[in-house]
Amino acid sequence: MSEFQNFQGSVDYVAGEELLAAVNVAIALQKPLLIKGEPGTGKTMLAQAIAKSLDKPLIIWNIKSTTKAQDGLYMYDTVQRLYDSQFGNEGVDDIARYIKPGKLCDAFESDEQVVLLIDEIDKADLEFPNDLLWELDQMEFYIHETGRTVKAKHRPIVIITSNAEKELPDAFLRRCIFHYIEFPNRELMRDIVAAHFTDIDEQLLDEAMKAFYSIRGMRDIRKKPSTSELLDWLNALMRGGIAPEDIQKKLPFVGVIVKKDEDLETIKANRR
Amino acid sequence: MFTPFFYILKAKGVHVSLTEWLTLMEALDKQLCGASLTNFYYMARMILVKSEADFDKFDLAFKEYFKDVKSENIPDYVMRWLERDDPNEEEQQHMAEEAQKRREKRDAKTVNEQLRERLAQQNTRHDGGKHWIGTGGTSAFGNSGRAKGGIRMGGKPGLSSAFMVIGEERYRDFRRDKALDYRQFQAAFRQLRQFSSRIDEAKTELDLDGTIDSTCNNGGYLKLEWQKPRKNTVKLLLLFDSGGTMIPFSTLCNNLFQAVNKANHFKDVKTYYFHNCLYSTLYKTPECMTGDWVETRWVFKNLDSDYKVIIVGDAQMAPEELYSTSGNYRGPNGGYSGYEWLEMFKRNYKKVVWLNPRKVSYSSSIGWMEAVTAIEGLIPSYKLSVDGLKEAIKYLTGKIPSPV
Repeated sequence: MSEFQNFQGSVDYVAGEELLAAVNVAIALQKPLLIKGEPGTGKTMLAQAIAKSLDKPLIIWNIKSTTKAQDGLYMYDTVQRLYDSQFGNEGVDDIARYIKPGKLCDAFESDEQVVLLIDEIDKADLEFPNDLLWELDQMEFYIHETGRTVKAKHRPIVIITSNAEKELPDAFLRRCIFHYIEFPNRELMRDIVAAHFTDIDEQLLDEAMKAFYSIRGMRDIRKKPSTSELLDWLNALMRGGIAPEDIQKKLPFVGVIVKKDEDLETIKANRR
Repeated sequence: MFTPFFYILKAKGVHVSLTEWLTLMEALDKQLCGASLTNFYYMARMILVKSEADFDKFDLAFKEYFKDVKSENIPDYVMRWLERDDPNEEEQQHMAEEAQKRREKRDAKTVNEQLRERLAQQNTRHDGGKHWIGTGGTSAFGNSGRAKGGIRMGGKPGLSSAFMVIGEERYRDFRRDKALDYRQFQAAFRQLRQFSSRIDEAKTELDLDGTIDSTCNNGGYLKLEWQKPRKNTVKLLLLFDSGGTMIPFSTLCNNLFQAVNKANHFKDVKTYYFHNCLYSTLYKTPECMTGDWVETRWVFKNLDSDYKVIIVGDAQMAPEELYSTSGNYRGPNGGYSGYEWLEMFKRNYKKVVWLNPRKVSYSSSIGWMEAVTAIEGLIPSYKLSVDGLKEAIKYLTGKIPSPV
């Protein structure tokens, strides 16, 4: 156990037992931790909590559908260099000036160990994870233009999240520690709520949770409300001064937890 | 260590690679799970299993390999609980009111025996009730229950039993049998691209040829030209046969459907369902409920001829379903036979393919094959497999000529 840097969860992030173990194993084995789960189960927040509790800086690389693996390494700004050469600016000969580091590069070159979050990796192209295999394994990459090899000074703690929009390649999965975040059960949900609202009315929470879980349990709901939506809803209910006994009957501010017209219809039909 | 467990996992269909197994060995070397079976369970799972869909298979394998280990060794701390009989005041009062009788019946020895017995018998989750291990209820085993003098299991860190977690079988819903990895389908669909820059977007890409021309015209001083990015303009119309003979292929069709759905590079994808053959209506859902449909003519009118049509079906039908103008026994025929509707599809769309999961390579003259042969003579047909899909896409993108 001594190798664990011991992530214990933080004040505003309540982590389940399994998740804590997964984080600590990933740190000890120096493997990326792949976190999968429904949207809104706190995947992104987890990385923030880890960084905070280990007291290390967090570098976030947000992946979009157009992101290429190269973007994380470096970008060679040829256009700027061409422009500068036109006007005879100083330092045009120095290619290194036009190499812009990406997020991975930042993480490798940092003077202290950092937590690197690669957020929503499944948004990118199908082959994206494969393109990062070497870099994440060896923690180094080569800049062709300058012939320099960037090697991690301190191996970053890599956390990768996925919403399971695309299947990830096997070769990539083999190298990861996998954790699936289940939707929190009622007990854990209470802890999570308590971490966010210190003085919430018990009765209000009871009623709201009942309504929330009954909506999630409806068969035809297309977009199940998530934790963050419950928190928003509780906030709205408290600020609105809604009487606890009205919550299940009237479902005030239901738009906060249900976003689709079809789902509103489903709820109406189910309540009849 | 645990090598047989590796093979049991393989036998249960968990795809464990050697790399992952060695990682687990490394973790054991570093003593990351201590001496706890529960921690070992979590650690092995997080290293070896990479999809929640396989958690259940992993549980089955774990149960098989470690079952004997557990039932012979009940951890010391559990034994200590059993001997402990010093309820505090509050508990005593509570018991006096509610559970006095139950508590008296239980002593350490019998409870321990019952536990072993029930561990062997119980294989699902139980909440409430008075017999099985679970949460709530008055059983002597489990947690959050009202029983006193029994065994508390789970609920607190470090005290939970791996088998309790397994017993819940929470992951059964995720199970699916991946006969064909749909990533391969996804990869195949990536080929289905036709780029065009005739879209309304900002000019964000460097136009190299234009830049060279302008720079030359500019007396050698750099002048940049930009152009619109090229985007995939492929639009797809997917038609699935949802009939009884297609049931054996539902996984395969599901894979195809998922692959198309998750490929976000198409400009548009429309999906409809049919039963055996195409007629005057197309169903909106795979259940093919009467009335829940769109007119085929509406589709012709609203989806232009650039849509690439992929029909997925086994083409198993009686000849009259194809040739008779009243051959559709589930809905209207619209005055035409199935064959004529297929011809209309061919006329209305530039590219139509038929993907058949049952397709055999030799032509046959057996009676029930008549419809298959007729359709293959009309519409380019391919087998619904990764290779067949690749061929079909070559045809759709105009790389190979129509086989018919």
